[in-house]
Amino acid sequence: MIRIDHVSKSYDGGATNAVRDLTLEIQSGEIFGLLGPNGAGKSTLLNMLAGVLAPSSGTIELDGVNVATDPLAAKRNLCYVSDSPDHLLRLKGHEFLRFIADVYEVPDAVRGPRIASLAREYGMEGELDNQIQSYSHGMRQKMMIMGALLPDPAVWILDEPMTGLDPKASWLLKQSMRRHADAGKTVLFSTHVLDVAEKVVDRVGVIAHGELLFVGTVDEMREHFKSNGSLEEMFLELTSENSPFATEAE
Amino acid sequence: MARAAARDFSWRQFRAMLRVIRKGEQHLDSTGMGLGGDDAAEKRKGLWGRLGAGARKVAMGFLFLLLAAWFFMMGYMLGVTGVTPYLAFSLCVVCLVGLTVLTGLYQAVNILYFVRDLGYYLTLPVSATTVMWAKLVHFLGMSLLGDLIILPIGLGSLLAAGAAPGAWVAMALAFVLSAVAVDLALLIVCVPIMRFSRLAHDKDRFSRFFGGIMVVLALVIGVGSQFALRSDGLASLASGSGQLLSGGVPAVVMGILCPPSLLARPVVEGDALGALAGLLGMLACVAVYAVVLSAVARCWYLEGAQALQGAGGKRGRRVEGAELDQATRSRGAFAANLSRDWKTMVRVPVFFNQFFLSSLLMPLYFVVILVVSGAVGVSQATEAGMDPAALLEMARSLTALLAFDSPALAWCAVGVLVFGLLLGFSSYSFTMGVSRDGEDFFFIRGLPMDWRSYLAAKFVAPFALSTVPMLALIVAALVVLGVPAASGAYLILVYLGATISLGLLSLGLGALFPRLTWDNEAQLFKGGVSTLMFFAGLIVGAVVMVLPALVLLGCTLWGVFTAPVALGLALAIFVLECAVLAWWVLGPCARSLSRRER
Repeated sequence: MIRIDHVSKSYDGGATNAVRDLTLEIQSGEIFGLLGPNGAGKSTLLNMLAGVLAPSSGTIELDGVNVATDPLAAKRNLCYVSDSPDHLLRLKGHEFLRFIADVYEVPDAVRGPRIASLAREYGMEGELDNQIQSYSHGMRQKMMIMGALLPDPAVWILDEPMTGLDPKASWLLKQSMRRHADAGKTVLFSTHVLDVAEKVVDRVGVIAHGELLFVGTVDEMREHFKSNGSLEEMFLELTSENSPFATEAE
Repeated sequence: MARAAARDFSWRQFRAMLRVIRKGEQHLDSTGMGLGGDDAAEKRKGLWGRLGAGARKVAMGFLFLLLAAWFFMMGYMLGVTGVTPYLAFSLCVVCLVGLTVLTGLYQAVNILYFVRDLGYYLTLPVSATTVMWAKLVHFLGMSLLGDLIILPIGLGSLLAAGAAPGAWVAMALAFVLSAVAVDLALLIVCVPIMRFSRLAHDKDRFSRFFGGIMVVLALVIGVGSQFALRSDGLASLASGSGQLLSGGVPAVVMGILCPPSLLARPVVEGDALGALAGLLGMLACVAVYAVVLSAVARCWYLEGAQALQGAGGKRGRRVEGAELDQATRSRGAFAANLSRDWKTMVRVPVFFNQFFLSSLLMPLYFVVILVVSGAVGVSQATEAGMDPAALLEMARSLTALLAFDSPALAWCAVGVLVFGLLLGFSSYSFTMGVSRDGEDFFFIRGLPMDWRSYLAAKFVAPFALSTVPMLALIVAALVVLGVPAASGAYLILVYLGATISLGLLSLGLGALFPRLTWDNEAQLFKGGVSTLMFFAGLIVGAVVMVLPALVLLGCTLWGVFTAPVALGLALAIFVLECAVLAWWVLGPCARSLSRRER
């Protein structure tokens, strides 16, 4: 479970807030989609959840562990895929996965079969002995996702995870997310590909200008707007300058 | 592209390109993790960030001035010992050419070609000369700032000579023109190489190859200077530099690499008219090189840049089954970090050259010096009718006297400290430990990382490279010279104390003030900040050596302590320093990393 309590983040000493007084609770067994336009504060929020950024105020708990006060325990309980797959490019694929498994202390009996299985699923079997810098963008993204799924922690935090993935890998990831949530664990991912969110999420949150404008199921969103339009239309309406939510946020 | 290449230089496009290159290539996070153009994200954290941009510049300026003052004093001392301003200037120019030959081509290639944004520039309707000059001016600006640190040696000699203010201006202008000319000469060579050399199209191979050449050149220059120049230190170095510019093949080589250097005598020693004529001649040399470079760049720069796009890429084999299990077996956090850091250091060419090859340079240098000196010594002794074995025995009989109640051992320990102080030049391999990770650091921040293991691994890799080979050499020398075991062990402990404390302090400073937002690995080693950090290693070295050195000098020079007390106290201080620094690195510095944000 993820509990975010009145969290704000400012990069400039409080003059402006990238995330403003955000409160949200994501239950175990749930896939939560975070929607928002570019610069809405999605990555900042996910970076705070992953412990890469510290909130300026407020608290974040992952399965009851405070990210600020016990970051190591919190991080052992989560995996994070950032919005860029360009990391540790000089390591070979298997070296990268070994490093991740070592840091997360994945036992030998588990890591070997899981790496083989992930490599097979994502079509990376023939690439593990190559340096990541030689991979295409999509292959790098697959490697980051494999690294995130390898320790299989309770909470998955994925920032734009479908970007660059081919259709098969994208489908695989969605299946993995569903299986993970069905096993009583938590998945939080951000996207601005609204069709993806519509098909995968249990609940959705819309963020703009650093504030959470809406939280609920897709159906509740539809009900809220009394519209039969697609999620995309609702999303655009929610985040447009004319939205009553956006106006309140100003 | 042909249309773009056909267009001539555009001043407006040049200014636009230069602005983008300065702001974008130096600060833009091309990995897309949110730094590019984001003022908020550009804010630096910690003490360095709180200082503000203005105060940071003041602090940098102060450090620059401190080092400049050091070199200025060195130049002044040269002047006092009779070295003329022309010879001091020659020394500056030879150092400049030496540094540029050793590192410049590689740096230029990195800045002009191995830049991620270059692929984007190729899509723009901008002429080759415009892109080239924008990048060149950027490169020259970065280089000049670093080069200028050498100039105070010449200026110091002017002070000793009581030169008029005009001479100072003339020397400064002559130095700047020389520096620009060297860089232009370098680029005139660089552009055709990058266009026509297959080797240059594989960044990694090219960089490693060039790193190897640099090591060989450095060895040749270092060893050669030992034998070409006599034993009166810098003064003979300056005199030797003057001879290089005075005629023969060396002068021709210097004239090609740095034509203004041949016109330096009238500028530095002549009357006002001679100085003016010399400066105009230097300016003309620079202009000619600039025209040649323009022509060369128009022909080959963009073609060379195009040839690089998509080059390289080596495929590995399939790893599966038991082999995959073996390749991914578990390790502790320390071993995992050490392995990752080591692989990165060896595989990133810039790091390989700067940390791996450079670290091997000093032991290799000493081995070659010892072998050559030994061979020459044996030959000379034999010619003089002396038995080399008897000479060695004589040396052994002297070293056998090195005991704990002898000030001679304290003098040896002082010698070890002086050597340790010089190692300060290589302490940047510790200082850069965290900075090497760049944006990867923020990926690692998202992992459940044990930061003490992380920093311990960052210490071990450069320590193994810089200290262990030298330690082996020292042990070999102690055995050959027959130094008593206890005294030899003491000197080794002092050496270890000096290098460990130097490494820990450098590592800790690098962890507190890391440079993580570079776009190209070479940026870590070029430009004013890097040059300052390189020389600041001397100051860091002085900080850790000062107390033990004072204690030892208290025995040898001032007679305050007896030898056993001074020797014991010096070692105890090192042990204390190492313990405190280890606590500082693994405690506050590790915590600082665990909280570091962009």
